[in-house]
Order: sequence, then C-alpha cells, then structure tokens
Amino acid sequence: MLRHLLPVLALLGVAAPALAADGDAACLECHGEPGMTADLPGGGSVPLFVDGKQFQASVHAQQGMSCTDCHAGMTPDHATGELSAPTRRALSKKSSEVCASCHDQVAETFAASVHGSAPDNPDLPACSECHDVHRTVDTSAARLALQTPLLCGNCHTDEKRMKKYGISTNVVETYLADFHGMVTTFQREGAADERTRLAATCTDCHGVHDIRKTDDPASRVIAANLLQTCQRCHEGAPPMFPQAWLSHWEPSPKRAPAVWAVLQFYRFMIPFMMGGLLLQIGLHVWRSARKKTR
Amino acid sequence: MSADPRTPAVRTGANAEGESAAPQIVRFSRAQRIEHVLVMVLFVTLCVTGFPQKFYTQRWAEVLVGAFGGIDQTRLIHHLAGYVLAIVTVIHFASALAAMLTRSRPFSMMPTRKDFEDVFRQLRHYLGTDRQPLYDRYTYKEKFEYWGLVMGNVIMITTGFVLAFPLQVTALLPGVLIPAAKMAHSNEGLMALMVITFWHMFNVHLNPETFPIDKVIFTGKMSRERYAHEHPLELARLEGRPPPSEEDAHAAAAPSGVAPRGEGDR
Repeated sequence: MLRHLLPVLALLGVAAPALAADGDAACLECHGEPGMTADLPGGGSVPLFVDGKQFQASVHAQQGMSCTDCHAGMTPDHATGELSAPTRRALSKKSSEVCASCHDQVAETFAASVHGSAPDNPDLPACSECHDVHRTVDTSAARLALQTPLLCGNCHTDEKRMKKYGISTNVVETYLADFHGMVTTFQREGAADERTRLAATCTDCHGVHDIRKTDDPASRVIAANLLQTCQRCHEGAPPMFPQAWLSHWEPSPKRAPAVWAVLQFYRFMIPFMMGGLLLQIGLHVWRSARKKTR
Repeated sequence: MSADPRTPAVRTGANAEGESAAPQIVRFSRAQRIEHVLVMVLFVTLCVTGFPQKFYTQRWAEVLVGAFGGIDQTRLIHHLAGYVLAIVTVIHFASALAAMLTRSRPFSMMPTRKDFEDVFRQLRHYLGTDRQPLYDRYTYKEKFEYWGLVMGNVIMITTGFVLAFPLQVTALLPGVLIPAAKMAHSNEGLMALMVITFWHMFNVHLNPETFPIDKVIFTGKMSRERYAHEHPLELARLEGRPPPSEEDAHAAAAPSGVAPRGEGDR
C-alpha cells in the first residue's frame, strides 16, 4: 500500500527518504508531465517525461537512488531549453558514460563486445536502448528474460539496419518457430512467475554484454563453443546434440536437407491425400443424392 | 493382422423377454470396442495439447494452453497421453502378432488384390457405370484408414520419443534427427487430424447411409440386414453359405416390399 502511495506523496512534495531523495519531487513537478519533450539541435526530439510511479518501482529507486545521482548537478531551477548533446546518439553515449561510472565491469565487457565496438555508430545499442533507464528491472526477473526476443528483435528484424552488416532478419522468426521460442511465447503471454522454468532466449546462447560476432573465436555460439553453451542448460548434452539446432537457418537442400526433405514430403502428401479423400466423399454424396431424386 | 473377434457370432435377436427383434450380428468384440474408445480419447487429448504447440501464435492456442495451466503442464499431458498411446499400440501389435503365430484369427485387415479392384469398382459405381462391389469383413476404405492409423501411429510415437529424449537420441545418432523428427511429428499429426476430421467423420456421421451416427463400434452389433448389405461375403461365411452371387447379393439387399436404406446403393 505504502509503495503505491509513494509516487503520490512524492508528487505532493512529501519526502520519502527511504526510497528517494527529497529532490525527486521537485524534478517531477515538471518532468512528471506526460508528453514533455525537447527538440534536439541535430534534429528529432527527446522525451523528457519520467513516470514517477515506474521510477519508484525500478531497481535504482529501490536502492535509494534519486534523480541527481545520475543527472548530476541538476537543480530545480536549471535553465530550460538547454541540452548537453545535439543528437539522440550523443545523448545515449553520454548516458552510457554515466552508467559506466557505477557499472564499470559491465562497461568494460560491453566495450569488448560487437555491440560496444563503435560507440559513435548509431546502429549499435547504447545502455539505454536495451535498458529503459527510468524503469530498469531486476535482470534475474523472468519477465525480462521473456522480453528478450522482442527487445533484440527491435533492431534485428530491421531490414535497413541489418542489411549494412549482412545480418539475416530471419533470426527472430527462426528462433520463435523452434521449441525454445514456442515455449517462451506461451510463457510471456501466460502467467510466468519467478518459479517458471524458462526456455532459452537470445541471451542464453549469445550472451548479454559480451556478445561477439558469430565468427569470433570467443563467440559462445561458434561451432567450437556451442556444445558448452548448450550444456549450460542441457546438462550432459552429447557432442552431436548442438546439431539439433539449425543455427537460425531455414531448412533447405543446402542447410539441413533431411529436414527439408521431410517438409517437402508432407507438402506433397497432405494435399494429395486430402484431395483424393475429398473427391471420393464428393462422389459418394453425389451418387446418393442422384439415387434419391430418381 | 487385425484384432478380429475369434468367430463373430450370429445372434438370433431373441432378447431376454423372448421377444424377437431384428437379428443382430456381433461385429466388434468388447476388447476392440474398448480399444477404439481409448484411442479416440487419446487422439483428442493429443490434438488439443499438441496443435497449440504447432500453431503457437494463434489466439486459440493461447486459450487452450492457458486452460491446461500453462505450456509446461500442456506438454506434460501431451507426453503422458503419448506414452499411453504407445502402450496401447504395442499391445495391439503384440496381440496381432500372437494371433498371426497361433493362426487363431483370419487376417481380415490384410490388403488383397480384391481391395484394389474394389477401389475402381466403387468409383465406377459412384459414377453410375458399375455395380456396388461385394465386400468381405473390411472394405478397402476401412483397411485404408486402419493402415493409415497404424503407420501414422508408428511415425508419431517414434518421432515423439525422439523429441522427448533428445539427449539420449543424440548420444547415438546425428542431431539433425531432432528437427527432422519435429517436422515429421507436426506434419504427420496435421495429416492425421485432417483424415480423421474429413474422412472418418464423413464415413461414420455424414454418410447418407448411416447419418447421423454409426454406433456399431460402440455397441459392437450390426443388424443382419445391414450386414447382408455391407459385408455380404463375410456374412455368407459366418452362416456357412457359399459366397453369394452378385445377383443374389443385390436382390437380398433389396427385399421385395421394403426398400432398405440407400436402395442397395452401397
């Protein structure tokens, strides 16, 4: 109950010292206004609205952090209309630096990953593109794991962006069509709680902050490392087990010809069989009807 | 090969009160009727827990899975029903094999040359250019469905085990067997559902001669009149008569005065 009241109290300017510093209420007096945005000098705009309720529920607020812990030096009477960066990218790059001031280990790992390899490239994600900064959730939560196919899919199904790097946009579809994706889909729609035994999502195989290119020897999903990656969940998986996963390929005469052949067999067999049976049913009915009218 | 009753008995039709009713022939033994009900219940269970997994993006799939208490429980029910069906199938094969070895039953489910001739004759009959073929215990339609179910069962159970035990399977065999088994399991299941929905349901429910439902598989009994009409060759054998000639069979199927259902049309 108290937790639900807190944002209200905060909005009323009542201090809630256990969870947030006094200043938050002052910030939310302006930034709690839905739809607040600012135009960027480099084009586009940036949302300046923060949902106080969601922020209070975030892990950072739960740790007792307040606005100015990240937005250092901001005062209630700061000048409006001034932005410290000209573009969205410059802003998110700056915010990543703020994250790194506490999460230095993660920042180091991320810098060595494919996603962290070029901080100025707007096609690559900064911290805030995956972690919604004002409502960061506990990373061990089931609901975060179940969201990863959508989260990663945001960029990885974007034809324009993926084309530049020769990356298939089929990765999410092929994942979802397989066993892991089917289970994840149902668990996301259903009532997954902390006890739910989760199927593998993107990050379980590819890693999180340490994702490498798929031809990098350090990649978890390169053939040489794949068995070990499978064994993280499938304890004691034998060496031939990883071949069960078609590595995001659709079955074709070149990739997984056996699977493709089975598909072709049924593509022919189902219409052939049903066509024959329905034709015979049709003839039977026709014959009976003709007999009756005679 | 089939699980026939030893010697289908001709019942005089006299019931306990001694009143005479239409003579009945026992077509299916108690074991066969129980087996049919079991397979029917298992088939429906496997469909409602299996197809949501194939069509996982559909709203109805979500509703069904929710009704079973989530995907984990849905899969558990599917696996349990699969194991029971596997046991039923093994028992069916074992009893058929035992019957073959002891020669205690006729192999009336075996396809014969006559079945292939019957297919074309039946089709010609539908077109009005030939007479209805005279059938023995099982028509080619029944044999087709029986063997389709048996073969389909073997495929579903084999691939089902491959999918349920991927670690054990890939310890011995290539991993690509798993997605191949999944492809076969999901498509074979779809084909089975379509055959049952259209073919089996038409023949037992919508067939003009048996509409609205053919109860023989549940009661085990069929009237002698209908037997003479649908399985004249078997009836003659049961009654120790020589096989009827075409003329006799068609005449018997349409006794003077009363026109039976379908007017000898089947």
